[in-house]
Amino acid sequence: MKKILQKIAKKSPWLYRINAGSCNGCDVELATTACIPRYDVERLGCKYCGSPKHADIVLITGPLTARVKEKVLRLYEEIPEPKVTVAIGVCPISGGVFRDSYAITGPIDNFIPVDVNVPGCPPRPQAIIDGIIEAIKIWETRL
Amino acid sequence: MSSFLKIALRNLFKSPTTDPYPFGETFVPKGLRGKAKYNAGACIACRMCEHVCAGGAIQIREVADKSGLEFILWHNTCTFCGLCEYYCPTKAIRLTEDYHTAHRQEDKYRYVEKGFIKYVNCAGCGTPMVPISPELLQRAYENVNKEIEILRHLCPKCRQKRALR
Repeated sequence: MKKILQKIAKKSPWLYRINAGSCNGCDVELATTACIPRYDVERLGCKYCGSPKHADIVLITGPLTARVKEKVLRLYEEIPEPKVTVAIGVCPISGGVFRDSYAITGPIDNFIPVDVNVPGCPPRPQAIIDGIIEAIKIWETRL
Repeated sequence: MSSFLKIALRNLFKSPTTDPYPFGETFVPKGLRGKAKYNAGACIACRMCEHVCAGGAIQIREVADKSGLEFILWHNTCTFCGLCEYYCPTKAIRLTEDYHTAHRQEDKYRYVEKGFIKYVNCAGCGTPMVPISPELLQRAYENVNKEIEILRHLCPKCRQKRALR
């Protein structure tokens, strides 16, 4: 039974999006990849979910501002294992133009284990799809 | 209601609007600012790109054995603003239309664009200096004659001496 579930689950990872103080640029691109039929990410079996408890792949945008840090970490804890983390945009990866600012505590991999990076300011929808495909590959090995 | 039905019926006979990207060909808008590409041959190490870089992605520094300058651009903090390309006098740095940036975490710090400018020795006194690229001469002079070709291989001090003679 477990084996069958593993086989099925591979084909439908659920996405969850965390905004760690993003400027909304990457969030708009994420919405574009999900909602606009042109870049339909649901073809890959992915689906955005509203609750962290249902999530398999976590997409994080934003440089992890000091104000939102505790909330993001608490939210991340709620996501069940196994999970794959994808950092979208340059902010979560390195801090981007906000690096060394007193208002941010990131780069995000100081606090959260990141698996895939998709740099860009913001990345193109196709690049985000690339990142999600990479994340699905990692997720298959963790099931 | 009837207008909605009209659209629905029309769409039934249309091909899908989805971009077939992960499974097929995709499109690139013209003039898209993607990953930067660096050409060490045209670079004159004026460090303008390093100065204007909004994300602090570019670094030009001397290598340990002092044989030349090393150019490093870390894509993971580049915002694709294009200021480096705009201010580069010889257009040694250019933004390509390549936007495929996804990579794994273990490659995070290896995801860089690198270049190396080897010092040349001055034809007069032999001190090491950054070579003057043909692109810069093209920009500075309308036609490059023999005299300028000779000056090109001299360091600023020797050039001054020669000009004063």
